Amino acid sequence: MKCGLIYDGCLSQAETASVLPAAERFAKGPVAVIECIQDIPCNPCEKSCPHQAIIIGDNITAVPRLQADRCVGCGLCAAQCPGLAIFIVDASYSATEAVITLPYEYYPLPKEGDIVMGVSRSGAAVAKARVLKVRRETAAYGTILVSITVPKKFMHTIRSFRALREADKRIVCRCEEITETEIRLAVRQGANTVKDVKLATRAGMGACQGTSCRREISRIIAEETGASPEEILPPRFRMPVRPIPLAQLAAEEGKND
Amino acid sequence: MSELYDAAIIGAGPAGLRAAIELGKRGARVIIVDENPYPGGQLFKQIHKFFGSSVHLAGQRGFLIGQELMDSAKCLGVEFWLSSAVWGITDHTLAVLHEKNTHEIHAKKIILATGATENAISFSGSTLPGVLGAGALQTMVNLHRVSPGRRILIVGSGNVGLIVAYQMLQAGIQVAAVVEASDSIRGYGVHAAKLRRAGVPVLLRTTILAAAGRNRVETATLAHLDERQKLLPETAWQENVAAVAVAAGLTPLAELAWIRGCAFGNSAALGGFIPLHDADMKTSVEDFFIAGDIAGIEEASTAMEEGSMAGIAAAQELGFCSTEEKDREKKLIYQRLETLRSGSFGHIRQTEKIKIFTKMKGEFDEVRIDL
Repeated sequence: MKCGLIYDGCLSQAETASVLPAAERFAKGPVAVIECIQDIPCNPCEKSCPHQAIIIGDNITAVPRLQADRCVGCGLCAAQCPGLAIFIVDASYSATEAVITLPYEYYPLPKEGDIVMGVSRSGAAVAKARVLKVRRETAAYGTILVSITVPKKFMHTIRSFRALREADKRIVCRCEEITETEIRLAVRQGANTVKDVKLATRAGMGACQGTSCRREISRIIAEETGASPEEILPPRFRMPVRPIPLAQLAAEEGKND
Repeated sequence: MSELYDAAIIGAGPAGLRAAIELGKRGARVIIVDENPYPGGQLFKQIHKFFGSSVHLAGQRGFLIGQELMDSAKCLGVEFWLSSAVWGITDHTLAVLHEKNTHEIHAKKIILATGATENAISFSGSTLPGVLGAGALQTMVNLHRVSPGRRILIVGSGNVGLIVAYQMLQAGIQVAAVVEASDSIRGYGVHAAKLRRAGVPVLLRTTILAAAGRNRVETATLAHLDERQKLLPETAWQENVAAVAVAAGLTPLAELAWIRGCAFGNSAALGGFIPLHDADMKTSVEDFFIAGDIAGIEEASTAMEEGSMAGIAAAQELGFCSTEEKDREKKLIYQRLETLRSGSFGHIRQTEKIKIFTKMKGEFDEVRIDL
């Protein structure tokens, strides 16, 4: 099936690229990403902006244009957009994390500090996120703005969130505390061997070296890829196959001298 | 005996209320009749924010707009007859079933703002309890707070299907999918995007084959269509759902206009047969106006503008406002309507409306039902 907003309800990569402000702008701090690409008759975003950063004009079916240098990322437009199509992305939050502020209209509301699952435009789980702020704007007629922190590499991917499910909490690799969902996500992103999953998630890299989780990881890969379990080979084994004190390694090193 | 009103309006939705307000504020004696126990038409179940221009209530939720319209109409002394069904019409008289008895209402001008009805589609099991119109489901959940069940299916990806699906999620009801027979999403992409973020699939070239269950819907059988819309029976699968909500478009509710002898035109884009009318919302019958979905299926914002137009035009004919005032207001209304009817979603309606206006001038054959 063709991709794009009118075919699957999600912006395609090209459509996403067309709505993103320049990369340099993201580095400067929070900025609005207006995911509105159809000529529908609507303009509350333009009027909501105290900095005149959004331009639609008299012809209200025109698509909103963001003047990114004027936008301060306040979120008033996101709270007022009837289409729930505006997001505030703050790439300056920390070296590794970005903050996404999104409009939210479901109960129960999340609480600040909650760990949730960040999901993509198509509702697929992407990465865990933390609720930073839950804010109610009076002009928003009830729409809540929720700010979540996400890994920076997903700041253009995550556009909503859901509560953690049982599988999101179910730990497969107990040494590294890697959940079933995290492993499934890695497989969906292309890791289709136990080794790939290990490299992507650290599952199997802990004290037990995969003894307890290896089979489970194979099973999950088989489920996700449709391969039969016997096709999923174990990872390459390396010494030491049991945890040993570092001193032992040092001693071995000494013997060879 | 009953008295003579300046204007009787049938239908207390956005069009009827706006017409009542325009007449009422110019001093006309107005009665508004609606078969529902509450005024506002479909506005009170619209819990989403409306699109449109921010100078005209856009961004506000539908039910708040309904409240505002009702309050203004009541302040202006408009008389409301609710739970009252207009069942007949002759000349300037309406037959109304009101408080268990038929009453006559006489009015110098009649404005028909009866709205539309949902289109049903038939498939195996489509008469089972649990198969219902998407609008009906919206009323059930948003107004009466009754859940149709844990998990439902929506058929049709126009704005009604997409919006109702989202509101079901807000009510804590799972939506198995929104299915659409054509090969693109019919409503606004932003509505579909909200559903997709919540994990709801929107399946194109997909149709419902059957609903089944003991005494009520328990499963729905779906299948894909090929690029020529031919059914691919081998693709059929079942979803466990407690309800199937059909959002297959709307048809204008125009029985009273047919009876009154209005000339009709047909426009598929506007929902089928609609009474011909001019830009003042006057039909081919003297003193008889229409506004809102009966004049072509659009949305609440256009219905309000058309209602204002009909109200002002009727007020002018009644002598409550000057021709200059009417023309001034009309110009503004049509500026706004033109915007609402532009863009890739609206321009077809603009073209079709102009065709209706042109037909009204007699340049095309009219359609009449002989009684």
